[in-house]
Amino acid sequence: MLNFEINSKEIDKIEKISREEKDFRIKNLEFFKTIGFPNKRFEDWKFSDFKNIVDNNFNELAVNKVSNDISNIDLLNDFNHNYILLVNGSLHSSNFQYEDKDKIKISSYNNNIDYKVTKNPLVCLNHALSENGYFIEIKEDYKFKKVLVIYNYFTEDIKNKILNNKNKIKLNKNSELHVIEYTVNKSKFKFINNSYEDIVLDDNSKLKNIYLQNNKSDGFFHKFLRNKLSSNSDYSNLIFSSGLKFNKLDIECDLVGEKAKCNILSGLFLNKDEHQEIKTRINHLFPNCKSFQKVKNVLSSQSKGIFQGKIYVNDIAQKTDAYQLSKALLLGDHAEFNSKPELEIYADDVKCSHGSTSGSIDENSLHYLMTRGLNKENSTRLLIKGFLNDIVEFIKSKSIKRFVERKLEEQVNGY
Amino acid sequence: MLEIKNLQASVNAKPILKGLNLSIKPGEVHAIMGPNGSGKSTLANVLSGKSGYEISGELNFKGENLKKIPVEERAQKGIFLAFQYPLEIPGVNTNNFLKTSLNSVRKANGEKELDTMSFLRLVKEKSSELGIDEKILSRQLNVGFSGGEKKKNEILQMKILDPKFSILDETDSGLDIDALKIIAKGVNSSRNKEKSFLVITHYQRLLDYIKPDFVHVLSDGKIIKTGCSELAQELEKTGYKKLN
Repeated sequence: MLNFEINSKEIDKIEKISREEKDFRIKNLEFFKTIGFPNKRFEDWKFSDFKNIVDNNFNELAVNKVSNDISNIDLLNDFNHNYILLVNGSLHSSNFQYEDKDKIKISSYNNNIDYKVTKNPLVCLNHALSENGYFIEIKEDYKFKKVLVIYNYFTEDIKNKILNNKNKIKLNKNSELHVIEYTVNKSKFKFINNSYEDIVLDDNSKLKNIYLQNNKSDGFFHKFLRNKLSSNSDYSNLIFSSGLKFNKLDIECDLVGEKAKCNILSGLFLNKDEHQEIKTRINHLFPNCKSFQKVKNVLSSQSKGIFQGKIYVNDIAQKTDAYQLSKALLLGDHAEFNSKPELEIYADDVKCSHGSTSGSIDENSLHYLMTRGLNKENSTRLLIKGFLNDIVEFIKSKSIKRFVERKLEEQVNGY
Repeated sequence: MLEIKNLQASVNAKPILKGLNLSIKPGEVHAIMGPNGSGKSTLANVLSGKSGYEISGELNFKGENLKKIPVEERAQKGIFLAFQYPLEIPGVNTNNFLKTSLNSVRKANGEKELDTMSFLRLVKEKSSELGIDEKILSRQLNVGFSGGEKKKNEILQMKILDPKFSILDETDSGLDIDALKIIAKGVNSSRNKEKSFLVITHYQRLLDYIKPDFVHVLSDGKIIKTGCSELAQELEKTGYKKLN
């Protein structure tokens, strides 16, 4: 049993904060201290008993600061890109060599108030302790020429830590940004990364995000994403984050202007005892908005995949078009997939649909491939890749698509 | 090539093949006809190695006991089944699949794997012979293919893998007359002294284009009559009932 206590003095260590911010942090810390890590009695955590997971995996856990010094890291050479380097959650450096630098603002992110009251203890913990994430802002009418890779790098010495960081992306009117969020974990030890991200899309702006990691690891990740999408903005998030010990992405999208669009797509391959949850809440608050969610999980061995997806449609949000589908391919008797779709609709002229299926590999398809000389292993892999390909197809750029395919292939071939 | 003696096959304790005997020599084309439910497709499935059947009797391919050889090795040894209902495999590119398939077979036979350029040349040659629009080969395997395209794709796979023994399971069903002729031509151009074929069909029409050396009538899990290609014409006139 883990005895995890945080001293309020941790907040005093955070430099240059106002009285108001300090109060905000203390209030959140107090809330976390009363509740602790969330367990399955919380509806939002019923399939991911985080308290239990932490108890089973950590004998000690500390929140104290870690260094973010590194000598060098290997950048991807599959395609030209700009980059932001985060080391253990803190902004380390950035490079926008392909862009007009006047159009981009980048800084460490420390502004920490003005957030919705939350009952998620991990978000409270983040509010209390986070510092030194990044804040990027793209000016009006500027469209990025090359993709921005955000290297989320964890150093070898990270052990039994819980790292809290907070980031913000703001796209002003008519701007466009494509991001690949790429986790590189050098630590062989267990640790928790608890992050919070604020994404603000002004009118007519567009953000495309791809989320994946370099390698399998023993990291435990929780991320809360809060998106605010204004009129005619277009947000998409493609999640390929297979191979993590624990990963929960909690995505909340407020569609706060007409014709805003939100796409959440995921193609995951989980193995061993990997545990991944995607939880979404799409709030259709204005008319004529569109949301599209498609989550595909391949689950082998004793892995566990979860999709909790909620679509909320406000009474004025007429002509809403909301779609949600989750599909699981179970490869073993001990693999598990839980799906909880929810619709809450107060408008009467809307198109909302949801579906969820899970099944095993189709024996007839397997036989068909094997009669063409492929062994069972390769036939199975081909079917897995085919199943996930549906999501990869959403990537437009050929070089990025090839890169993601290669990453997925490494995962699937390890099976 | 293929020796079947007293083959019995059942599914969930329900007997389907009830003592079937068949001998096919290199270079021969055999046709099997028979009413619905007589066991034609079961025979094709059993030869391909499909699981789910209880099997007894002798099943030898080139002197080897076929029962002991797993599905993919049968393919590597030169047995090919053109499916009655080819499966749709979403997300798998047809060309990639054909290349993987061919190279698995080549590798198993100790041959050098084909690189992409030589493979594409081979595919171009074979698909134009069968009048296949190459565009469909960059699509997902059989997904959204018409009935005719699926059947042609089966024959294309046969031409590419160049098997020693091919089973065509009702390849003619659902084909228009032009497609039927093209497929028959594709099969005929593969015929030689070494290769054998087992053509399963309901109709004599296909056999006008692929001339069999022998015609067998399968009924209730057994071959009840064997003859030369005239037998097929006779059946067309009289039906199966008279034979019983």
